[in-house]
Amino acid sequence: MMWQQLQSIAGSYPLALRGLGMTVMLSLISLVLGTLIGFGLGILRTGGNRLIGGVIGAWVDLIRGTPFLVQIFLIFFILPELGIELDALTAGIIALTNLAACFICEIVVAGIRSVPTGQVEAALASGLSRWQRMRQVVLPQAMRIVLPPLVGQYVLLIKDSSVVSAIGLTDLTRVGWLVVQRVPNGLLVFFLVGLGYFIVCYPLIMLARRLEQRMGAAHGEVQL
Amino acid sequence: MTSNRSKNGTGMIEFRGVNKWFGTLNVLKDITLSVEPREVVVVCGPSGSGKSTLIRCINGLETIRDGDLVVDGQRLGDPATNMTRLRTEIGFVFQSFNLYPHKTALENVTLAPIHVRKIPRTEAEKAGRELLAKVGLADKVNAYPAQLSGGQQQRVAIARCLGMRPKIMLFDEPTSALDPEMISEVLDVMVAVAEEGMTMMVVTHEMGFARKVAQRVVFMDAGAIVESGTPDEFFSHPKTDRSRAFLSKILRH
Repeated sequence: MMWQQLQSIAGSYPLALRGLGMTVMLSLISLVLGTLIGFGLGILRTGGNRLIGGVIGAWVDLIRGTPFLVQIFLIFFILPELGIELDALTAGIIALTNLAACFICEIVVAGIRSVPTGQVEAALASGLSRWQRMRQVVLPQAMRIVLPPLVGQYVLLIKDSSVVSAIGLTDLTRVGWLVVQRVPNGLLVFFLVGLGYFIVCYPLIMLARRLEQRMGAAHGEVQL
Repeated sequence: MTSNRSKNGTGMIEFRGVNKWFGTLNVLKDITLSVEPREVVVVCGPSGSGKSTLIRCINGLETIRDGDLVVDGQRLGDPATNMTRLRTEIGFVFQSFNLYPHKTALENVTLAPIHVRKIPRTEAEKAGRELLAKVGLADKVNAYPAQLSGGQQQRVAIARCLGMRPKIMLFDEPTSALDPEMISEVLDVMVAVAEEGMTMMVVTHEMGFARKVAQRVVFMDAGAIVESGTPDEFFSHPKTDRSRAFLSKILRH
């Protein structure tokens, strides 16, 4: 019986690959966009304009303080009520990008604030413009702090992407739900689904760990 | 141009009735002080007397509450004054060096010339190497700050300022964070800069330096300028009890 189930599951590998592909594509697009937007928001938030900083801070808190499932439902079911038609994929990308941007914004803000004021003063004193100070002096130093948790955050976001199955996107998790209807062995099916996520995430976990070690060592060196 | 300004009684740096508060603390009290082009002024006084704040106001790291502060003919806080541009004319050397740790000595020196002055990279690097050689660090061009001693870092920091060819150099306790054996190598560089005719304000307790190159010593206490005179006058015949008390403390060692 186990053998038959395995065979049956093996037969659905094209579906499984499609699901894995959807998970990877959705995560990749959202993480790239979320990283760009997250850095932009983080830089704006530390930029000194109280209004902009306050608005971004409030939005980030709101997103961090509500379940992702609820956010995705709001985007997918409420926006069409307001006349904005979205397919499930677009809704999924928007929701996951927004989530990624908010978490990454927090990481970037922490990184920027970790750069000693003396560095900014030195850049200021030599006449660098606001953007030059950010680009040449602050960001390169903030990156040491930002990179390890950033990669760690990617892992969390890839796993969070499983929530998009709730609005009907055929990602890896939804493939699990579909297969389990034909092969009544939830343990086996979802073990394989979990394995799929793990295969995608594990290299990133290793990368985060290596970055942390390298940054730790490099940072010790820099201590004056 | 500069001589014109001097005739009009307008120095390179002009404080006129400047006041500053941190909260309710009056950190600069009615400061009036004029620094002429090519003049070297040493500012000393007990800690917390406002000397660092005084020079940090000149390049706008601190803002003043009232009074006028005119630097190189431009009034600070005036909407017509481009603070970023004015800062390119003012070198600032920090107590804690503040070199960029992710950049080599040469990159520290060339960053602002390349990005602010828009000097071509090869030209900026050539000038940067010459400056590092001038401060005695020709062999440390590619070293990172973490690989340099405190004295070497401070010399790179001075070269970094000189790279912008400033009209004014401000030094905020440049040797206070250094081990004793490294102080003279930094002071030697500062003397050389002074002898080339740079307008300088130096917050320091290095009285040997003051005697050697300063035209004037300004003594501050509790946010006010208490006394001002030639190094000889100040060290040999201090006029106030406060300056005598201060001198007896720093000269005892």
